[in-house]
Amino acid sequence: MSWPLFLLIAAPVIAGLGSLLVQQRRAIEVLQCALAGTMLATAALVAGQVIAVGEVFVGDFLQADALSAWLDLILGFVGSSGTLYAVGYVGEEMDRGHLSLRRYSQFLCLFDLYLATMLLAVNLDNIAILWIAIEGSTLTAALLIGFDRSKAALEAGWKFIIVGSVGIVLGLFGTILVYYSSEHILGVSNEALRWSQLYRVAAELDPAAIKAAFIFALIGYGTKAGVAPMHTWLPDAHAEAPTPVSAMLSANMLTIAVYAILRFKAITDRSVGPEFAGKLMIGLALLSLAVSAIYILVQRDYKRLFAYSSIEHIGIALLGFGIGGIGVFAGAWHLMNHALAKSTAFYGAGLVFLRYNHKSIDRVTGLLGQMPVAGAAILVAGIALAGMPPFGLFTSEVLIVAGSYTVRPELAYVFLALLALAFVTLLYQVLRMVLGAPGEVGTSLGSQCRIFTSAAVGINIVALGIIGLYVPPGLETMLASIVKTFGAGIMAAR
Amino acid sequence: MALSSIDIGSQLVNLSSALLLIACFAIVTLRRLSSCINVYILQSVFLAMTAALVAFFTDIHHIYISALLTIVIKAVAIPLILKKVIERSDVNRDLEMNVNVPSGLLICGALVILAFFITQPIIPLGFLLTRDSLAIALAIVLIGFFIMIARKKALTQVIGFLVMENGLFLGATAAAYGMPLIVELGIFFDLLVGAFIIGIYTHQLQDTLDNVDTSKLTTVKE
Repeated sequence: MSWPLFLLIAAPVIAGLGSLLVQQRRAIEVLQCALAGTMLATAALVAGQVIAVGEVFVGDFLQADALSAWLDLILGFVGSSGTLYAVGYVGEEMDRGHLSLRRYSQFLCLFDLYLATMLLAVNLDNIAILWIAIEGSTLTAALLIGFDRSKAALEAGWKFIIVGSVGIVLGLFGTILVYYSSEHILGVSNEALRWSQLYRVAAELDPAAIKAAFIFALIGYGTKAGVAPMHTWLPDAHAEAPTPVSAMLSANMLTIAVYAILRFKAITDRSVGPEFAGKLMIGLALLSLAVSAIYILVQRDYKRLFAYSSIEHIGIALLGFGIGGIGVFAGAWHLMNHALAKSTAFYGAGLVFLRYNHKSIDRVTGLLGQMPVAGAAILVAGIALAGMPPFGLFTSEVLIVAGSYTVRPELAYVFLALLALAFVTLLYQVLRMVLGAPGEVGTSLGSQCRIFTSAAVGINIVALGIIGLYVPPGLETMLASIVKTFGAGIMAAR
Repeated sequence: MALSSIDIGSQLVNLSSALLLIACFAIVTLRRLSSCINVYILQSVFLAMTAALVAFFTDIHHIYISALLTIVIKAVAIPLILKKVIERSDVNRDLEMNVNVPSGLLICGALVILAFFITQPIIPLGFLLTRDSLAIALAIVLIGFFIMIARKKALTQVIGFLVMENGLFLGATAAAYGMPLIVELGIFFDLLVGAFIIGIYTHQLQDTLDNVDTSKLTTVKE
């Protein structure tokens, strides 16, 4: 039994329920800071154990292999900076009298439970319980998105819960189809739903059923990942949710939805070869890139801008995983760097929103001069998200271009063209906001809020800088075994 | 088990799956929300009946528990929540639809054919007793999806979602002899919490908007 893995999932539940019970601001802050530290430490410990021994277990259902531990690192890291940010952000709202202490503790409790459901989802050795955990994250996220109870927030939350639930129902149908074909081999029991068992017997599973299951899973979990054309809930939810929630939606929830698709892909690849799943993923990835590049260009709302940029980056990661081989390496690297960069961007955007109380790009200028932390966050994240060195997203994009060239040269050209369009437009919008002379004065932020949010931004930027410059050896080992999970991909098939 | 008993069992399971499908068609034609909910209750009872039949003919006892939970949660708890929401709002008038009833029925017919077409290559794989139920399950999921698109009021979209979920449960219990119990418990739990949250949402939307008409939900858009 691996206690860090257990603690990683249990800590947010304990801290969340604790916050609800104590109802005292200082105590809640201490509790949340302790949670942030615990998540960071336990995620690192789990990764360390996985690097050392390959797989770790807790009880019958929890299991972490390299791919799970990779997601643990992403969720643990962004989750802990996100918790600090949420404490600062929601605390500021309470200082301004928008929230009562009761609502404040409710928010943080929901926020922690949301993190817990996602951490649970990536550490399960069971495709059906994975579904339950992801649906759990949909439900907690729905409550968080509509937390403001403003008309726009309720609309966005409604859209999220309806579109998201339909998507996830299709995902469950895919899960049932896998079970339908695996129970003949593994028996009517939990064994027929375990990843590890499914990988083992994948070659014997019925190809037609697995193909259908993958299509349902791709559409279903793709809806939650914000893959075009099922992305319609995403910009609204990201724009209207309280900003700490937007950051977690983008950095964590989209990532775990991609994780679910990857688990199905690993089964499908073993059953029918990498071409089938790969081609479908490449197609949806290109569509997502095209849609997001166009909408980034016309965006007038900075939170929607980053939301569309998430669609773009999830598309890029899917393209990498679709190609396989080096693309899997790049895709996993892309997911981690995107989670860090995008949460940083939203942290900055949230501070700007707290100051000006509007989301219009046109009315925001000179952030670097007026709000150094928010300006730096948006600038650094903008450069990273546009795909410029010295950040990891540059590395992964170059690798994916190279990989797609070996599959089909046309694919690389289309990808490069879409990437260039998104690069120019995103950078233009971001630079417009951070440079120049400050426009409006706005309401300045309280010192409490500034300390917590600066800490969150600082942690993220430092991490982004470090993994931009090199791949730490431990992470390299993990990436190598993730690549092994998927086999060689389309590239080698040619 | 003798062959004839499998035959009878298979006929009975098919019959009660077909009843679920017919209930879907009824929901498509009905205009009043409270009647839609009543048909949904009926459909959930059929679902429980199908599950009980499968449990009886296969001797897999945990499916009885799933049948019982279906009755408790889908035929009692969720309809109660929905009816409470209706009482508080004025959505129980004639429902506006984006598609009229005859063409709606035609589309549903086409969806059933599509479902059989999609599952054709997979069906021979299933257990003898229940394998045709998979096609019916997919048809119900698709029709549920259609109901969500075809109706304008927020609450009828919820009905569509619940119908989809019934289709899934049919797929899981009838076609695959039930998921393991812990999985079913989890899915029921999520469903119940989901119904609560949807109830909270419609209630709050009711407070901010005068009428929960999703075609008026256009504040957030490009």
